[in-house]
Amino acid sequence: RDTTMAATATSPLLFVIVGKNEPLFEAELTKPTGTSADSVTRQNYFVLHSALDLAEKAAWTTNSMYLKQVDKVNSQHVSTFLTAGNIKFMLLHGGRTEDSIRNFFNDVYELYVKVSMNPFYKYDTPILSKVFDQKVRVSARKYLS
Amino acid sequence: MSKSTSASASGHALWTKMPKANAELFALTYGALVTELVRDYENIPDIHQQLEKIGHSMGVRCVDEFLAKAELAGVSLPPCGKLKDTAEMVAKMGFKMFLGVTADVAHVTDSGFSLLLQENPLSLFCELPEQYAQLKYSNLYCGVVRGALEQVNLKVECTFVKDTLHGDETNEIKVELKEVLQDGAGDDYKEE
Repeated sequence: RDTTMAATATSPLLFVIVGKNEPLFEAELTKPTGTSADSVTRQNYFVLHSALDLAEKAAWTTNSMYLKQVDKVNSQHVSTFLTAGNIKFMLLHGGRTEDSIRNFFNDVYELYVKVSMNPFYKYDTPILSKVFDQKVRVSARKYLS
Repeated sequence: MSKSTSASASGHALWTKMPKANAELFALTYGALVTELVRDYENIPDIHQQLEKIGHSMGVRCVDEFLAKAELAGVSLPPCGKLKDTAEMVAKMGFKMFLGVTADVAHVTDSGFSLLLQENPLSLFCELPEQYAQLKYSNLYCGVVRGALEQVNLKVECTFVKDTLHGDETNEIKVELKEVLQDGAGDDYKEE
């Protein structure tokens, strides 16, 4: 039991969608371990944001949307997916397989496209739809845990 | 063959002869129209009124096209003896011809009926934001039905009672017959 608790504690999952100027969507996808302090969460966000520049750089090296892993800090990896409109999906994880992350990103990309087709959604604004949030979490549970 | 199945078959025949448009383009165009109206008008009832007005001017033209195309296609349109026949014609043939979806008729009385739409091509990707959660997004249909029936001398009032965008399982438009108009040439031609 101790080992499983350690596993969940060291693999936080943070998913952020970043637009041109600001984050459009954030979701903490880990099961709450009860021991995650505020400082740990803030550190996670910091790691993600510092990876943004690396993501921009990596975008020039490949012509696929999935940029794989762009940064690694201690045991935390940051993977990025770039949409056609230069919106970044960033995932902070503790080492999931490339394939499962790619599947997750593709799923979220489909959900994102559906949201952007909503006539009431203005492009590059925060995504407030609860349905989107629910579906992202379902997809995360399916591919990332 | 029962009346309603032959109406469905005729509706389908008319639909096949109509020029088609991309469903996504159609839905997105309507979405852009609604969001423009939302930006122009302050309160929701005004938006409903505008959508209804737009629908009305579409409906008065739709019924002529329907009758003309039906004649060209050789589809027989028996005159509607009762309101139920009118309802069937609107639901199975009118909606099918212009939108490609059939509506169902329910709650038929002497003074009204309901149109039930399972799928709504106008609201394909739409999700109502919180401040417009009460918006009747597809109120256009109400105007179209009112305009179309007005041209055949039936004055009706249409309201959206159930909407899938508000969480209901189906879309329902209630049509109430107010009066049957006399054939008139309009105020301009009244004799002195």
